[in-house]
Amino acid sequence: MSNQKKRNFQIEAFKHRVVVDPKYAEKTWSILEHAIHEIYNHNASGLSFEELYRNAYNMVLHKFGEKLYSGLVATMTAHLKEISKSIEAAQGDLFLEELNRKWNDHNKALQMIRDILMYMDRTYIPNTHKTPVHELGLNLWRDNVIHSSKIQSRLLSMLLELVHRERTGEVIDRGLMRNIIKMLMDLGSSVYQEDFEKPFLEVSAEFYMGESQKFIECCDCGDYLKKAELRLNEEIERVTHYLDVKSEVKITNVVEKEMIANHMMRLVHMENSGLVNMLLDDKYEDLGRMYNLFRRVPNGLSTIRDVMTSHLREIGKQLVTDAEKLKDPVEFVQRLLDEKDKYDSIISQAFSNDKTFQNALNSSFEYFINLNNRSPEFISLFVDDKLRKGLKGVSEEDVEIILDKVMMLFRYLQEKDVFEKYYKQHLAKRLLSGKTVSDDAERSLIVKLKTECGYQFTSKLEGMFTDMKTSQDTMQGFYASHPELTDGPTLVVQVLTTGSWPTQPSITCNLPAEMSALCEKFRSYYLGTHTGRRLSWQTNMGTADIKATFGKGQKHELNVSTYQMCVLMLFNNADRLSYKEVEQATGIPASDLKRCLQSMACVKGKNVLRKEPMSKDIGEDDAFFVNDKFTSKFYKVKIGTVVAQKESEPEKQETRQRVEEDRKPQIEAAIVRIMKSRRVLDHNNIIAEVTKQLQSRFLANPTEIKKRIESLIERDFLERDNNDRKLYRTMNYVEEGLVSKSKRSSQLLVSKTEEDGSIKILFVEHKRFNDLCRSARLVTPLMIPSATLPSFGFDPTFTWPQKLLISKPRLPRKLVAFVTSF
Amino acid sequence: MKRKDTVKLISTDEMEFVIDKDAAMVSQTIRNMLTSPGPIDNWVFLGGFAETELGEVTFPEISAVILEKICQYFYWALQYSRGKETEFHIEPELTLELMMAANYLHT
Repeated sequence: MSNQKKRNFQIEAFKHRVVVDPKYAEKTWSILEHAIHEIYNHNASGLSFEELYRNAYNMVLHKFGEKLYSGLVATMTAHLKEISKSIEAAQGDLFLEELNRKWNDHNKALQMIRDILMYMDRTYIPNTHKTPVHELGLNLWRDNVIHSSKIQSRLLSMLLELVHRERTGEVIDRGLMRNIIKMLMDLGSSVYQEDFEKPFLEVSAEFYMGESQKFIECCDCGDYLKKAELRLNEEIERVTHYLDVKSEVKITNVVEKEMIANHMMRLVHMENSGLVNMLLDDKYEDLGRMYNLFRRVPNGLSTIRDVMTSHLREIGKQLVTDAEKLKDPVEFVQRLLDEKDKYDSIISQAFSNDKTFQNALNSSFEYFINLNNRSPEFISLFVDDKLRKGLKGVSEEDVEIILDKVMMLFRYLQEKDVFEKYYKQHLAKRLLSGKTVSDDAERSLIVKLKTECGYQFTSKLEGMFTDMKTSQDTMQGFYASHPELTDGPTLVVQVLTTGSWPTQPSITCNLPAEMSALCEKFRSYYLGTHTGRRLSWQTNMGTADIKATFGKGQKHELNVSTYQMCVLMLFNNADRLSYKEVEQATGIPASDLKRCLQSMACVKGKNVLRKEPMSKDIGEDDAFFVNDKFTSKFYKVKIGTVVAQKESEPEKQETRQRVEEDRKPQIEAAIVRIMKSRRVLDHNNIIAEVTKQLQSRFLANPTEIKKRIESLIERDFLERDNNDRKLYRTMNYVEEGLVSKSKRSSQLLVSKTEEDGSIKILFVEHKRFNDLCRSARLVTPLMIPSATLPSFGFDPTFTWPQKLLISKPRLPRKLVAFVTSF
Repeated sequence: MKRKDTVKLISTDEMEFVIDKDAAMVSQTIRNMLTSPGPIDNWVFLGGFAETELGEVTFPEISAVILEKICQYFYWALQYSRGKETEFHIEPELTLELMMAANYLHT
């Protein structure tokens, strides 16, 4: 008591209140009690707020706070009990309305009561730690109305009933619903959760379990997903209309679990309408819906992705292994591109460009493209086809698009070096026969290859273009210096750099006299301007245009190969020639000769020669005549040689073998590079690093790497650790020397092994990676006695000992060397 | 309900002070008197108290002198809240009663 006195000392001095009427508290309370009744009865306008406030104020001041408070509790409780009864009495649907009305009344009354008892709220309640008036009112409402046994369960079942009715399509009074739910939320989140949300979620789960079961039995996948999406949206909408925002996650979780997660597998694999069918039929809308729905549940997307991947791989595998479809390489690549386009647009339109899906797509393509080891060849053939004729009349942008697509396929290739090999062959054919449609397109593709694989990958290809350009200049120079040559046959020579072009060792055939004279002139002109070079004629790669007059005087211009030209020219001096005679006179290798004769004598419409006996194939005993009766609608006749566009099986084997051969030095070079920096490394790590270094070009075979390592050990570059046989180390202190010849530079790996200063050469590597394929060979360890060594530093006159050159035929004859820091 | 912008305050000796509602509502108690039970909503009209209806409040325990000072204070407080910072002068002999009234009016 004394405590309280001190706190309210200014109130003690309130002089009016010194009079203490023993009945005072009773009297004042009865006024207030009456007022509360009046308020509940909507009669507040007869009351003076000031008077009531003053009374309550005074009661608190005179230490009757307790009485005031308990009186309030009792009065309000009594009122609420009555209200509760009247709500209980409400029939059917009126129940909720009555509840809502009474709730509003109560709220209003409660506010008024709180206002007049404000002084109590301010002072008495905080001091005694009682519940503030407003909260008290809510609690009493909860305990006496909502939790009254006759109302609680009825309320819940009515609410759930309404939700159910709305789910089945009826229109319900959402406003009323919102008010009631709002009331539950006002009474505290625990009331909302316990009295409504929890049972609501349970009932929903049950409802959707049943519904999803029903749907899945009778709907196809697309329809089911549509329904699920609809339901999901309905629930979200329901939440915004009359539920607590926090319920959204909970109820959507229920729907997701019941309608999607529980049936995921069945939906994806649904017969005739599942994911695979959607993919096949490009059902963007359904796929998009599936994506959006499945994204909501754990493992949803990975399920879609897995199915898509395995389907893609299956399709792809069929595509690349079906022998029927492999007949036409262009068609084959086009199919791949179409497939890629199809899935690209599915991912962009339906799967919102999901990165993980793109990755899955890429890995699938990489997987199946490499299943067929002819893919590199076919892709190159596809490009060849496009650049030969496919791009005619196509706009520049479209060309770019096609090339970009090809590059995309190229990226999937594991054996990029095989592609390079074929590409080079095809490019060479295109350039030499002048078939390329667009120089820009060619160059643009090379730039793309360069950005993808680096300078080394394309330097040879670019060299080919340079050669073409230089040859033009050379030819101009040649004719400028030989003005007398304007009459007679015209010779166009393309001078190709060995190494840049795919050349086959070929036997030069005997050219007709007038041609070989011309060739000689060119040779002397060329060698006169370029010293130190050697020219050899590749007659197997040339073409010729010749004018021919046939029996009835009809004139034609024949476009033939050099070989064919040689053969035809023979008939200027003879009417009839036997196979043997032709072979002897031209010196063309038998297989080539047969093919060229076949194309001139056996192809209908192009048979400028006649053969005895008439048959499809060329025999050793056949005889040939000029076909006087040859006719053609065209003045110009192109006589193609019978060539297989696609490589035949033995050719393929050969190319493959060459590729394998070329890989060896690359693998060795990679091992050496790695070991140079690491010194010591274990087997598995070497394999891993080599694979990584080379994967931009090809996928190195571990067995092959192992062989190369062993070879390096044999040649004393590496040694095995004595304790751990899996561990390799560089055996000697290896120095790098630089050997250069003209513009190229090579690297010599030299180890200083001998005490007298002699060196041992272990490895030669060309700086240019591409050259490596051809010119880098490991040399047999070679001792160079110290006496023959140059003084270190730059010595332009130093000549490497012959022995080194013998073991490496392609090493330049004279090396200018300086070996750094011995 | 009358929508007047002024309110009449009556002291124990029946002096009437008519002041702006805004000013009167500086007192939380008077604010409640004039606004309880809050804005009318759509469903039910319970009706306010007599003060709300009439727009006048009688204070049987506050003398005219004090009530006048209180009204001055209301206007001063309004200005103060609007950023005009002046001093509010209180005669020492009024201090005690003013404080009691302030407690009552919750200002």
